[in-house]
Amino acid sequence: MSNGPNGDGPGVSKAAQLELDMRFEGGLQPELAALVASYRHDPDVYDELVDSKGEIRSHWHPVLEHLARLGPDETRRVFASADRHMRDAGVVHRVYDDTGNVERPWPLSHLPLVIPPEDWRSLAQGIAQRARLHEALLADLYGPQNTIAEGLLPAALVAGNTEFLRPLGGVQPSGGRFLHIYAADVSRGPDGRWWVLSDRTQAPSGLGYAIENRIALSRSLSDLFKTLCVERLAGFYQQFRSALAARTGVSDPRIALLTPGPLNETYFEHAYLARCLGFLLVEGGDLTVHNDIVYVRTIEGPKRIDAIVRRIDSDFADPLELNAASRLGVPGLVEAVRAGNIVLANALGSGLCEAPAMAGYLQGLSRRLIGEDLLLPNLATWWCGDRNARRDVLGTLGEKAILPAFGRTLKGQMDNNGVLGQTLSASDRAKIVGLIERRGLDFIGQEPVHLATTPVWDKGRLQPRPYAIRVFASLGPDGWNVMPGGLCRISDRADARELSMQRGGRSADVWVTGERPPEMTVLVPNPEDVEINRNTGMLPSRAADNLFWLGRYLERADAVLRVVRCVIGSGQDSGVSDAEDSASDRLLAILVLWGAIETTGCSILEAVESAVNSRLLGAVPEVIDHAYQTASAIRDRVSPDAWRNLNTLKGIFANRPTASSQLTDVHADPDADDSVGKIDLGLRTLSALAGLAHENMNRSGGWQFLDLGIRVERAISIARFARILTEATPGSSLAMETGSLGSLLDLADAQITYRSRYLTGPARNPVLDLVLLDDTHPRSLAFQVQKIRDHLGKIAQLAPGQLIESAEKQANTLCATLRASAPAACHSGWFLSCEQSLMAISDAITQTYLAGLPTGADDPSALSSDEDRDGSGSANTQGQSSTVTWSS
Amino acid sequence: MPVETTTYDIRHVTTYDYRFATPSARCTIRLLPVDRPGQRVLTAKLEFDPVPDECDERIDSLGNQLTRIAFHLPHKQLTIRALSRVEVLKAQTEDVRLEQTPSWQTLTDTVLADRRMNGLAPVNFLFASRYVPLLDPVMTFASQSLPQGKPIAPAALALAKQIKREFAYDSTATTISTPLAEVFAQRRGVCQDFAHLMISGLRSLGVPAAYVSGYLRTVPPPGQQRLEGADAMHAWVAVWCGNDVGWLGFDPTNGIMAGSSHVIVAIGRDYSDVSPIDGVVFTSGQQIMRVAVDVIEVPGN
Repeated sequence: MSNGPNGDGPGVSKAAQLELDMRFEGGLQPELAALVASYRHDPDVYDELVDSKGEIRSHWHPVLEHLARLGPDETRRVFASADRHMRDAGVVHRVYDDTGNVERPWPLSHLPLVIPPEDWRSLAQGIAQRARLHEALLADLYGPQNTIAEGLLPAALVAGNTEFLRPLGGVQPSGGRFLHIYAADVSRGPDGRWWVLSDRTQAPSGLGYAIENRIALSRSLSDLFKTLCVERLAGFYQQFRSALAARTGVSDPRIALLTPGPLNETYFEHAYLARCLGFLLVEGGDLTVHNDIVYVRTIEGPKRIDAIVRRIDSDFADPLELNAASRLGVPGLVEAVRAGNIVLANALGSGLCEAPAMAGYLQGLSRRLIGEDLLLPNLATWWCGDRNARRDVLGTLGEKAILPAFGRTLKGQMDNNGVLGQTLSASDRAKIVGLIERRGLDFIGQEPVHLATTPVWDKGRLQPRPYAIRVFASLGPDGWNVMPGGLCRISDRADARELSMQRGGRSADVWVTGERPPEMTVLVPNPEDVEINRNTGMLPSRAADNLFWLGRYLERADAVLRVVRCVIGSGQDSGVSDAEDSASDRLLAILVLWGAIETTGCSILEAVESAVNSRLLGAVPEVIDHAYQTASAIRDRVSPDAWRNLNTLKGIFANRPTASSQLTDVHADPDADDSVGKIDLGLRTLSALAGLAHENMNRSGGWQFLDLGIRVERAISIARFARILTEATPGSSLAMETGSLGSLLDLADAQITYRSRYLTGPARNPVLDLVLLDDTHPRSLAFQVQKIRDHLGKIAQLAPGQLIESAEKQANTLCATLRASAPAACHSGWFLSCEQSLMAISDAITQTYLAGLPTGADDPSALSSDEDRDGSGSANTQGQSSTVTWSS
Repeated sequence: MPVETTTYDIRHVTTYDYRFATPSARCTIRLLPVDRPGQRVLTAKLEFDPVPDECDERIDSLGNQLTRIAFHLPHKQLTIRALSRVEVLKAQTEDVRLEQTPSWQTLTDTVLADRRMNGLAPVNFLFASRYVPLLDPVMTFASQSLPQGKPIAPAALALAKQIKREFAYDSTATTISTPLAEVFAQRRGVCQDFAHLMISGLRSLGVPAAYVSGYLRTVPPPGQQRLEGADAMHAWVAVWCGNDVGWLGFDPTNGIMAGSSHVIVAIGRDYSDVSPIDGVVFTSGQQIMRVAVDVIEVPGN
């Protein structure tokens, strides 16, 4: 077992260990002593729990006592509940590994990092100072460049930095500031002083995860949270929002959060923050620039955007003036910035300050730019472009870490984690020396990092682990606010450069304790100041399209499951009658048409297996995956309850060799067929989702598109069921027809209504009347078409357009046709024409809201929409709109 | 003493045909030359069809002329005509005593001691850039022409000749997105590739080098008429040869120094800084681009 960061390294002497043991045994109650019995920290680094004399620091006493009081079993339960919160809330991050790009649960450390107020004060002052310094530095480097002319910063450190964006030279940021949000990663030196490991000025991530960590830990350790009077975070977020809004100079500004899309590693956080702070979550394709003004495309036409919280790297923000290869950006954005028409948080090009080589010059820059000495030291850093520094670094290579000077990967030579001189083989060492001698300007030497340690809970015991805290500051009206807390990242290894969520490790909440309970602030303003507002905000066109397709996918999944259930039903009657056979053949034909099974020539068991468990394009698992991905792209609009249900749904149909425990719970009968269980549970979860949409979603724009998708898909399905199940085939008997009509009633959930209306068994005309023409039956074709017409009427009013008006016209015609038709007149060609006009309506919707959006093969929104898979006439409109970037 | 000059009329016409009308488009254009040491621009203008809804001009951070246009209405065709008349000093570079330029090895430290970073300050051309990664094999290749202590100007000329000698001109072998490593491995490409390659070799050894886009007067084979529109844009390399001499042009495609047949349009770190037309259109089909270039010497000088 590892005893701290350096294993059984020489750092911990036997005597020191013995002394620790004795102190714990002598001074602490037994339960408490058990917790820390195997706690061994490296005496050369600072430990948050145990001081240099081996005493437990006093501010941790309440924590340990709380844990001791809970006892091991209750502690485990409490921690499990925190994990469940994270899972239920769908807190994930993306990891790029060998298997590609996968979502992982957010790894929560169950203990907070507790920091006493006096320690925090010095840290917070230092952070605010650095934010001021970086602001002044950016203003100089994108302005007069005095610091370069005066020799305080080598010109090469700016010229060689890919984050120095030349097109932004001389451009004053709208709102007057480059930085609105700043973060630094910090840890403590052996003497307990705070040290800065790196600065984050581009688009610091972690603010969303910090809230989730806080929610999870403040719930699971609520008593302790109160006892310690932990500083609250909500005020910080509120101040960030209101200060940014004020910088726009507009009374009720529109603020967008610009994300690279659902495939980004921290997309969860983008959606989460957008929802918490009331920002509009947009991708580059949602925005457009017209006469140097930025607009978002919404279902109500283009709307002006006043500020952008930028979560895409600057270089990708405008393919016209920055990286032409970017598909994530907004063409013309730089020009809008130049014209002063948009506030960016943070300004384009602000990532300049993150270059590790800057660290070596900050002290001098601080004195010159803000007239102060740096309050927080950073790691000693030598830029090897400087002749003397290069000589020193090469002379003491064994004691240095070597990193790329600008933080980016040096292609084929070094990644941004760098190398430790101490661990280099002779040949690697020679290679590094050669690189530095030839192009020292690309490298820095840095003193190796020794992170302080903090306790984590490991199998009932506390263990020290290296950590760093990301501390955030946001620009207020008169100065910088530092968030009293942060995102603590904990490594399983000693080396700070391994501290990345991409590489494992976990994260913890940071508790800054107070003397008295903090004043309550929540993420809403004073109730007295709130004006009545019934506008639920803008719906970007792309989000509308995604909602529409989410509706279609969910309804398709529902329809496939219903057909499969019907197939099973038809088989269970022992297959003695021809009628049953005929109906099941026709049901299988529907599944083939949808691509859920490959052929009608299979047994019922095989068909069920394929439709429920296979990865065929039209099988339930794939349809659910599409629904899930579509929902992911509009994560900010999916309620936590709906998200939980989507997760459940995904879990049910995830391919697993054995039934999950979740399924076993549901089955009363342990012998029940797994597929049948999945179907029932799937249908139940889908109706829960439908119920949530119906009962809980506000009836403005978003819901209409979701419901429209459901209605269109259901209408197409019903018409198709009727067409296939009533098709006259040579030699079909009355009995056969009756069987098929029975299935049609099942699929339309109309058995009960039918029986209450007719004493006879299923007969063609009454059945068709009920499932097609009766607009009082909520699963009839007529009912769907009426809803479609109503929705389209409302949507077309928002922003009249040729396409959507033609769709509305088609829906009207279809409605009239249904009203005028008699069941006897409903034949195969009639059904087909209904299906075709419904598909034309669907196309018109997608074309209206997706047209003009740049989409490409690598664009995440390509997931959002998909062609109608049965290939019976619906065109795929997704691929037709494309961005072409050309160069001669 | 009157300075000998050559004057050129340059006509560069680019036409885009879209299969379906594009509802909107936006581009940046770097097609007009500016005054530089050794060249004087007598006239220069851009013409567009259709007339753009937004249009403005400025000098970019590297000193190149940049025009920005946008269209808000659907159009099926776009024509951009760049017309200029430029006077180039004859044999300007022959006067330089190439052998007296400083050793290439001293250049990095000279540059790093310099506190300027505006426009063509050499420090801007010392690092890897979008199209110019620094690669070990390219560095090894370049060092053959840059032995210890050799003055930079003859070394750069030797490198240009080495590239001309060892690489085949093949307009089918690469596109602008072909990575440099691939160009190097297959030993073939076009002027853009050779310029990027030479820049990569020089920078990996610490020598500032820039990408130059422009025109090269072409002389038709003896006895043949000059074909209208048959010229093309050309690319070569500017190498920084120390504080006294500054930038000199070297053409690795032809293995020569740039001279009075070369007209400079724009200078950048690589192609991405000087791309003649960059654009984003929203269209639902294919587009066809046609380019016609004429570089004609104006008689009477």
